[in-house]
Amino acid sequence: MNYVECFRAIARQRTGEIVITSAGNSSQAWWLVTRDSVASFYLDASMSLSTMFASGLALAQPELKIWAFMGDGAFCMNPGMLMVERQMNLPNLTHFLVSNRAYGGTSNAGLPNVGNNDYAGMARAMGLERVFEFRSVDAVQREFPAVTAANAPGHTFIVLEVEPFSEQEQKMEQPPFDGPELKFRFGRHIESLTGCNIFGYRI
Amino acid sequence: MTEKTSSTAARIADELASCGVKLVASLPDNWVMDVIDTIERDDRFVHVPVNREESAIGLCSGAYMGAMGSAALMGASGFMTVVYALTKINYTYEIPLFLMATLRGMAGDHHKHHVSNGLYLLPLLDAIKMPYQIIDKPQDVALISRCYRHTRTYVRPMVVLFTRDLLRGGH
Repeated sequence: MNYVECFRAIARQRTGEIVITSAGNSSQAWWLVTRDSVASFYLDASMSLSTMFASGLALAQPELKIWAFMGDGAFCMNPGMLMVERQMNLPNLTHFLVSNRAYGGTSNAGLPNVGNNDYAGMARAMGLERVFEFRSVDAVQREFPAVTAANAPGHTFIVLEVEPFSEQEQKMEQPPFDGPELKFRFGRHIESLTGCNIFGYRI
Repeated sequence: MTEKTSSTAARIADELASCGVKLVASLPDNWVMDVIDTIERDDRFVHVPVNREESAIGLCSGAYMGAMGSAALMGASGFMTVVYALTKINYTYEIPLFLMATLRGMAGDHHKHHVSNGLYLLPLLDAIKMPYQIIDKPQDVALISRCYRHTRTYVRPMVVLFTRDLLRGGH
């Protein structure tokens, strides 16, 4: 499945979800297909922490639906995150593992044990129950609504098997924000949606 | 848990609650087990034991973006592993974060495997310009609130460091 087309298919089915992206390719692809500068937090180069960040937000704001993207390069650095996610079992969190079988953010450098890693199997072994895999854009378009529209009893883990970025795609623009600007754009959006007070003052 | 360490743990919990801390993410160190047990049993908190210290940084940073007060609790060794997460997330985006860690490797800590923490923890904090407050006596636990508020002013992380005398009693 083409990485960017997969993200286009998911973005088309977005209905107000708050998005957290991970290092490199997922930030580039999500920025390309959405140009979202308020309801997406591009947690660049976080080295495996995008879903932990998303879990904190999901815990704090249970009425928001949170989508968190993470490459399998980041996942390999910290697979134990799934133990924490399973323990928290937040029904408003969906963890997308974007499996391109490479460290996409560093020019598709090789991943360890790449041919044998069964990410869905690892998730099930840690007790996750809502585990799904998509290998084609058609499948995303056909089955994704049922997966995300369900009244989920716990958090959802979705493996997206995609092709690595091509050499040309690697040149795709990174989200251009300085960190504090992104924090405020995103945070003010969360405040407007929920009425919460993140920064201690309102403009 | 002795009466003295139980009392200290309760004071720490009360101080955290008074700051509006709801989420506490922790990894153990023998010195903070009483604090972890106290927080785990306290309905004022959501306690999340995490798989590694970096996960606590991610969790608490996300909670901040949802307006939930939080604290990350860990040992000195665990703290030494989180420098990248702190500098990448909390310094880059200027996201406040309150941490509590043990001050290991000082006189009175007889564990040789903490010698490196004694040598490098404080110089490391200085190197990344991260403010810290050493808390050595039960009456100084109230400094937690001041330090927590400072993270909101400074919009970056700050750590309070608990000594052995505070957590285990001095001798």
